[in-house]
Amino acid sequence: MRPLSNFTITSALPTESVPDTGDIMACNPLRSVEITNFINSSDSLNTNIVNITSGIDDEKQQILEWLSPLEPHQRHHSVRADRIDSVGNWFLETDEFRNWSGASGGDGYVPPVLFCYGDPGVGKTYLR
Amino acid sequence: MIDHLHDRAGENDTTVVELYCDFPARHEQTTPNMLGAILKQLVNRGEIPEHVWRALKTAREGFGGRRLRLPNLLELLKTTIASLSRVFICIDALDEALPKLRLDLLRFLRDIAQGSPNTRLFLSGRDHIMSEIRKGVSSGIVVVPIIPTKGGIEAFLEMRLDSDTEPNAMDDDLRADIMRVTVEETSKT
Repeated sequence: MRPLSNFTITSALPTESVPDTGDIMACNPLRSVEITNFINSSDSLNTNIVNITSGIDDEKQQILEWLSPLEPHQRHHSVRADRIDSVGNWFLETDEFRNWSGASGGDGYVPPVLFCYGDPGVGKTYLR
Repeated sequence: MIDHLHDRAGENDTTVVELYCDFPARHEQTTPNMLGAILKQLVNRGEIPEHVWRALKTAREGFGGRRLRLPNLLELLKTTIASLSRVFICIDALDEALPKLRLDLLRFLRDIAQGSPNTRLFLSGRDHIMSEIRKGVSSGIVVVPIIPTKGGIEAFLEMRLDSDTEPNAMDDDLRADIMRVTVEETSKT
């Protein structure tokens, strides 16, 4: 149980409109009990939320590790670090890419597979 | 390209996943590991509904920590993809995958894309696997040749020359020669 201190109340309210915390307590002692209860229940609620969240995160992490030992996003980070921004932008402007990715906004049939081919080292991996 | 799709993903309720085929890593890049890696990214990035989440938990408990068998993995992959609005699966350097993995990926992902029309598959590799890919996915394929542009080659060379670990061995004339000759030679191929 955290005691409701005068400091907590005075810091939450504008001092010019509320002259003194002691006055609030004196005028309405019932209200001060309600505030104390609310703050205490909020504390325990927050603790429970943290516990639930970390429980889900743990379980999710276990499921992720169980699904595959591979970590392709790590490779992606290293590719991104080595990439030159301007290289490969032309590809994003091609009709083929725009149609396939839905950027052109058409309603017609879109082939689901896009295959980019080229010799080793031409920059297929590094297309922005 | 993957980052470009990621950038747009926030706007369009899209989930983007990627795989990199790598010949030296071929022994761990098995079909279940690769398909599992797709599912892993979908679960991690997509807005997974509760019924998919429950199916995953039940499967994990059912297998007692052992890896999923391929049919169960495919089923979960289909369920997960069907629950998402839009999925882009990008596979880089498919030519570096062992033939069995290539065929498996093409076959299984084709089936998944047919069941969930909002799935898009991006593949890259050398052109000698083109006919295999055409056969594998059977229809609905667009091909784009990747040819290095002059500007791209120059930008790449600049980057490499700037990171030269022996800058004293370089002068402006040599640098200009390297740039000129390399761009000329690569333009001939």
